[in-house]
Amino acid sequence: MSAEEEENAAELKIPDEFLKAKCLMNCEVSLILEHKYEQLQQMADDPMNQMSQVFEKSLQYVKRFSRYKNPDAVRQVREYQLAEFELCVLGNLCPETVEEAIAMVPSIKVPIISIAALYTRGRAHDDEAIEKMLNDLSLIKKFE
Amino acid sequence: MFFHMVLERNMQLHPRHFGRDLRDKLVTKLMKDVEGTCRLLNCDSTLMFFFNFLGIDVIEREDSTIHLLCVYCTCYLCYYGSGHHGFVVAITGIDNVGKGLIRDGTGFVTFPVKYQCVVFRPFKGEILEAVVTMVNKMGFFAEAGPVQVFVSNHLIPDDMEFQAGDIPNYTTYDGSVKIQKESEVRLKIIGTRVDATEIFCIGTIKDDFLGVISDPGANS
Repeated sequence: MSAEEEENAAELKIPDEFLKAKCLMNCEVSLILEHKYEQLQQMADDPMNQMSQVFEKSLQYVKRFSRYKNPDAVRQVREYQLAEFELCVLGNLCPETVEEAIAMVPSIKVPIISIAALYTRGRAHDDEAIEKMLNDLSLIKKFE
Repeated sequence: MFFHMVLERNMQLHPRHFGRDLRDKLVTKLMKDVEGTCRLLNCDSTLMFFFNFLGIDVIEREDSTIHLLCVYCTCYLCYYGSGHHGFVVAITGIDNVGKGLIRDGTGFVTFPVKYQCVVFRPFKGEILEAVVTMVNKMGFFAEAGPVQVFVSNHLIPDDMEFQAGDIPNYTTYDGSVKIQKESEVRLKIIGTRVDATEIFCIGTIKDDFLGVISDPGANS
C-alpha cells in the first residue's frame, strides 16, 4: 500500500490512528502488564498457561528496558510540549546530549510553519530548549 | 512503540452460549482470539450490516483475511483487508458490546465489541532498543518485545568483524565493542513485514548513536 511506503517515524509520518492514540513508554506498559499478570495469577491456578507468548515477551522486554521506575516521574516527563510519539521515544531512550536527541527524534527539530502555528505555541525547538529538556529528564530520572 | 487504543471486533457466538453468562463468555472468547495476535483491521459493524442487507456475507478466516461471499450464488466477491495495528499485547478493558446480529442460515450471532488494548507496532524509521538473540555471519537477530528484528552484516559498521566460535559475535578491531547473544543494542528499523501471525523487521546500527548499549552480564 502506498500509505505504508511513505511511513517514516523519523519525520513523524505515521498513520492517523496512531497519532491520535495514546503512546505509551516502556515504564507505563510495564505497570499495565504487571497489573494484568497479577490479575491472571489471582484468577487462574496456572497463569503461565493463560499468558500468550506475546504477552510474556512484552512483559520481559518492558521490565528490562524501563528507564523510570516511579510513575510520578513519568507523569512529569509527559508535561513537555511534544508529540506523544516523540515524547515516548525520548522517554524510552534517554539521550544524554542534544545531538543524540536530534538523531533519535529528528522531527523535534522541524519547525511547523503554518497559520495555525502562528496562533498556537510554535513547535520549533532550538538547541537550548532541547538541552534544557534533556537536563530536566535526567534530573527526573536521578531523583525519582 | 506501544500504544493504547480502542479497537472494534465482531465476535461470533454459537447459540449454546446464550444465557446468563453471555457477556462473560463473549469477553473470554475475545481475549482468547485477539490477545497475542497481529491481525488485520476488522470490518466494522455498520459496514457489515450494509453488506448483510445486500445479501453479502462477511467471513473472517483464520489467516485474518476478510472474504465477501454472495449468499445467493455462493461466490466470493472480493477480499478486504487494510492496515494493521501491530501485536495486541493485552486487552485492558471492554468499552461496549453492541446488539447481536443473527447471521442468515447459520444461527450464529455476531456481536460488535469495542475494547481497549495495548498494542505494539514497530514503525519504519523508529529507533528502539532490543536484545540480541542470535549471531551469525549474515548478521544478527534481535528481539524487541514480540517483534523480531534482523540486522544484516551490511548494516553493521565496517569496523566490526564477525568472530565465529563457541559464542559467535561481532567485535571491533580493538576489541572494545562486542555484539553477542544477550547484548542490548539500540537499532533503527528500516523495514517491516506483517503476516497473519507475526511481524518481522529489518534494522540497522550503522547510523550515529546506534549500536551496543551494554555488554551482557555487565548490568543487573
